[in-house]
Amino acid sequence: MKRISAIIRSNRLDEVKQCLIAVGVQGLTVTEVRGFGRQRGHTEMYRGSEYSVDFVPKILVTILASDDRVEAILEAIILGARTGKMGDGKIYVTPLEEVVRIRNGERGEAAI
Amino acid sequence: MREQLVDCNPRRTLRVTAILITLAASCAFSHRSLAQEAKPDPAGIVTGDKNSVVDASGNPFVVAAPTDPNAPDYATAKKAYDEYQAATAKEPLATKLADSVGHLRIATNFGWTLNTGYLVLFMQAGFALLTCGLTRKKNAAHLMMLNFAAFVFALLAYYAIGYAFQFGAVAINAAPGNLGGIPTLNHFLLGNGSWGFLGGKGFFLSGPAYDAGSNALTLFEFVFMETAGYIIVGAVCERITFWGFVLAELFIGGILYPVFGCWVWGGGWMSQLGTTWNLGHGYVDFAGSTVVHAVGGFCAMALAVVLGPRLGKYDKNGKPRAFPAHNLVYVVTGTFILLFGWMGFNPGSTLGATDLRISVIAMNTNLAAVAGSAAAMILWYFIFGKPDVTMACNGMLAGLVAITAPCAFVSPTSAVIIGVLAGVLVCLGVLFFERVAKIDDPCGAISVHGLCGWLGAVSVGIFADGAYGSGWNGVGATSYLGHAGQGVTGLLHGDVRQFWMQLAGATLCAVWAFGATFVVFAIVNKFKSIRVSEEVEQEGLDVPEFGMSAYPEDALVTVD
Repeated sequence: MKRISAIIRSNRLDEVKQCLIAVGVQGLTVTEVRGFGRQRGHTEMYRGSEYSVDFVPKILVTILASDDRVEAILEAIILGARTGKMGDGKIYVTPLEEVVRIRNGERGEAAI
Repeated sequence: MREQLVDCNPRRTLRVTAILITLAASCAFSHRSLAQEAKPDPAGIVTGDKNSVVDASGNPFVVAAPTDPNAPDYATAKKAYDEYQAATAKEPLATKLADSVGHLRIATNFGWTLNTGYLVLFMQAGFALLTCGLTRKKNAAHLMMLNFAAFVFALLAYYAIGYAFQFGAVAINAAPGNLGGIPTLNHFLLGNGSWGFLGGKGFFLSGPAYDAGSNALTLFEFVFMETAGYIIVGAVCERITFWGFVLAELFIGGILYPVFGCWVWGGGWMSQLGTTWNLGHGYVDFAGSTVVHAVGGFCAMALAVVLGPRLGKYDKNGKPRAFPAHNLVYVVTGTFILLFGWMGFNPGSTLGATDLRISVIAMNTNLAAVAGSAAAMILWYFIFGKPDVTMACNGMLAGLVAITAPCAFVSPTSAVIIGVLAGVLVCLGVLFFERVAKIDDPCGAISVHGLCGWLGAVSVGIFADGAYGSGWNGVGATSYLGHAGQGVTGLLHGDVRQFWMQLAGATLCAVWAFGATFVVFAIVNKFKSIRVSEEVEQEGLDVPEFGMSAYPEDALVTVD
């Protein structure tokens, strides 16, 4: 089992969701996050003074998946999130030890 | 007793508490000594009779008996008087009807004055939204409380002493005829005749100020005072302690605002410089570019200097950092509420709907507002590449502040020009205070109200076209500059002396408001700092000062 975490542009969430549903993903969790990458944020002007937006608002999508589904999900996320410009985000995959469904106590892949 | 008061008080004006006690005593005494003078009319049943009936040019229905047999026009005046007497003897019903018409005229003007006053009152809500939106989320409750407390405490001070200081002698030189004249407010505490410096009747709205006409004026004038009172919020917010702010409001409502207000609107010495020193129509400020806005703006400047900039506003090299507005929706909504309220502020300042100039005043006010906003948007676009929402709003307010003094005296085209000048001035002012003077003014109060207030009063001296204000401040009732009916006139229409008067008067206003506030609060600040601690400022003032944040759902609350 794997946990797939994708940091994407806030305005690509809808496309990413459509693509994930299209490859059969049953559920996902979305978190509003902030951060910066190599671009290091950007600056804006307010009443004649500059201010820097160091931590850019992003969306973190978390998906739990069995090992054989990972590749399809990664492709779906890329399809939905890519614009080709700086700031498209990142995906990272980590191993998952255990999953428990709270309602009925199911464990492992049955709980995904 | 009253004589002694007049003699011994002038040199002790700063000792407010001592004065307060003596004033309370003087109220009690003044009742008895006024036996033969006009009586106040608290019920409003005798205010407005045939003496209040005038035609459209202000000529009275009642013809008064000529008093001076040596006057050059004595014969004509006597003839008019005799004819009037004969007519009243022949048509008693007409004079009786005139009593009703006079009462109705005053009633119409009461209704206008009070209702426009209510509009001005609503500006308080607009300003609360504007300033709250322009600052950071962590100080939103603090901003709301300042705006709220400004209203509460300044009004109490104005009720106790402010109104009497400002209008206690209004009947002497500036009787508001549209409201029945208020003949009972006729005593200067400092000065007399054309050289009045401080009004001296009507403390605690008692005695002569417990009068229907006087209270109509009080309502309309206290909401103006409140405007000066809340202006300072924009410059002192995010770092002033609550008690320091309350003290500032008491100072504005009780002393700072009423003193200058007396000089200009209460029949004081500045308004009379036309008759005493031949300076045009004396100092003219129709609805308060200086009396209200510049007083508030320069008072705000002094407080901002005493307080110093917010933590982190300037980096080590003195480069300003922006603290972006937390809610632009509030900013724009608040600005529109202010514009709406200004439809009371300026047209209402005629103190009467029977003065039909109100339509021109209302149009001028709107034109200056949009011209100011357009100028600010365009200028900002050319300097920084994008129009700034908050500066567009500041530009609109700048236009409004600047047109407040000249709104009755200028043409619509002049109003547009004044608006444009104000829109440009406010942008340059914001950049100047932020980058050069390094006086931290979160909402631009100094530039909007101080600088543009000054500009507004000077604009009267430049653009006034003479179409309105014949006989203003007792100058040129029959003819002025060789023309019958010529009113307040500016530089461009041939009255240079009016321009100098306006320039000097507006500058004096800035000096008074900044100077008096700075001296008082620099001393107060020496004894006890009016600024919150660093920790409080970093955390945001909401919880440390008031126990609650404006948006409490941001905090996770658990219940045992």
